[in-house]
Amino acid sequence: MSDMQPAIDVQGVTKRFGRFKAVHDITFSVPEGQVVGFVGANGAGKTTTISMLMGFISVSEGNISVAGQHVSTGRAHKVHRSIGYAAGDMELPGGLTGEQYLDFLLSQSQGDHTETTAMLLKRFKPQLNKKIRNLSRGNKQKIALVAAFATDPDVIVLDEPTSGLDPVMQETFLDYVRELSKQGKTVFMSSHYLQEVTEVCDRIMLMSHGQIVQDLMKEELLKNSGKHVVIRTGYVHTKPPRGAESVESSETDDVTTLRFVYKGDVELLQRWLAGIKKLQDVEVSEYNLEGAFSSLYEAETGENEEGES
Amino acid sequence: MMSSVFTKTLHEKRFFLIGWTLGFAAIAALLASFYPAMHQDGAIDSLLANMPPAFKGLIGNLGDLSQFDTYIASQLFDIRVPLIAGIMAIILGLGLSVSDEEKGELRTILSLPVSRSKVFIQKWLAMLLIMIMIVIGMAAGIYVVLPFIDIPAEISIEHMALLSGMTLLVMVTFGTIPFAIGLATGKRAAATGVAILTIIGSFILSTFGQAVDWLADFEKLSLLHYFPAVDIVKSGVELSDISVFGVITSVLLVIGIICFRRRDVA
Repeated sequence: MSDMQPAIDVQGVTKRFGRFKAVHDITFSVPEGQVVGFVGANGAGKTTTISMLMGFISVSEGNISVAGQHVSTGRAHKVHRSIGYAAGDMELPGGLTGEQYLDFLLSQSQGDHTETTAMLLKRFKPQLNKKIRNLSRGNKQKIALVAAFATDPDVIVLDEPTSGLDPVMQETFLDYVRELSKQGKTVFMSSHYLQEVTEVCDRIMLMSHGQIVQDLMKEELLKNSGKHVVIRTGYVHTKPPRGAESVESSETDDVTTLRFVYKGDVELLQRWLAGIKKLQDVEVSEYNLEGAFSSLYEAETGENEEGES
Repeated sequence: MMSSVFTKTLHEKRFFLIGWTLGFAAIAALLASFYPAMHQDGAIDSLLANMPPAFKGLIGNLGDLSQFDTYIASQLFDIRVPLIAGIMAIILGLGLSVSDEEKGELRTILSLPVSRSKVFIQKWLAMLLIMIMIVIGMAAGIYVVLPFIDIPAEISIEHMALLSGMTLLVMVTFGTIPFAIGLATGKRAAATGVAILTIIGSFILSTFGQAVDWLADFEKLSLLHYFPAVDIVKSGVELSDISVFGVITSVLLVIGIICFRRRDVA
């Protein structure tokens, strides 16, 4: 890979399935060595984007290149020499044991990766002697992760990589991603666990309805963090405090609901809350990526994350 | 060590291979061992001479039952084996294409640095080798029984090779239909539908074609038409028959690879 070329370059990519546009004109590039978290609600287009990055599916419009090579369904194997891939719903060949699968995987790649594989096996401790179809979800996922990292690739693409892993293994995985980051590897990772994304990623991209709606570096995100406030009051003329952002107001059955983001002085917010007439309910939460994601999720589905309307 | 998609496929299909090889060997041995019972100094031949053509078509080309090689050709290789072999081939072809994709395992293999063309060809070669082993098993089943038959019964290696070779071509063609369509489209309905239509259509045309006048005109559309087992024993294989299987298989493979390289894999 040349120094000038991004590790991942996505230019004006659209993906249609019949009339349905799953991904709509997205453009981004990921420089070498960056760890990117790719988040969004179910159906936002994350897996479709990753499938295009991997060359499993074709792009309807636009161009993708990974590790300096153009990605297409027919030539994806050339790019795969530089990519490690694992997905939460990945189905490994059930008729093979973990050991046989890793043997098969290593025989497809160039170079000797015995040391790296041994180190990964020591860390992730997958069960290797049983047929994969007889393993638990977590154990299958451990093998998938070892397989993704074993060939020491320059770019690692992960789609919900920690689903099925227990908390200890999740931490082992996050530690390893941190190490990869230090080694200058590029990691592109979709996840539903926002905490893990914020912990290890340098940059976070939020996808919604097939488009990238937020693309922030971690520092920007931390700078922009604040409080997400929701109040319910019987007094219809309630106004938000000075400095409130992203204000939304709704009224049902004489109850006014006010939502906003507040990044100012917490004492001023408390004073403002104390002055509200007919206050019925107050919810204050940290506004960070999780907050942004929750707001967007609610806006899209009309439900909160617990599934309440 | 599993160093390729080819060896991996063979490893995964080892029980299929063993099961079907034993099954075909057993069928072949059983039918060969019935030879003395069918050998009635030409009595059955004269009975068959008076049999209605429709019935003849249903039970296959009976040929001359007084000779072991034509008996085997008519009773084993005419209709029965091609039909069972065709069904086996369809099951195998579907298993190596759409079933792997439906399970999600195809996508996993395609995430590795192995090209789609290579995956396609190596899976097909594994299918071919499995079929060769099954055909060898079937031929062995006949030869294993021969020493135990108490009347003169022999079939030359050349005749057996021709009959087995043509059986292999039938298998490969019937297997390549769902395999190529399955990998080209990823659609089980299309792969199964075309394969089943071909085998049932071939069976109907080859059996009822002899009795129903208007069907006789379409008999050449049957793939089984190009495997006249008794004629092969009597006068050898026609190159045109081999070409039919060869052309169908080659065209399906080329179209299959082209489409598989381009399409989305679920």
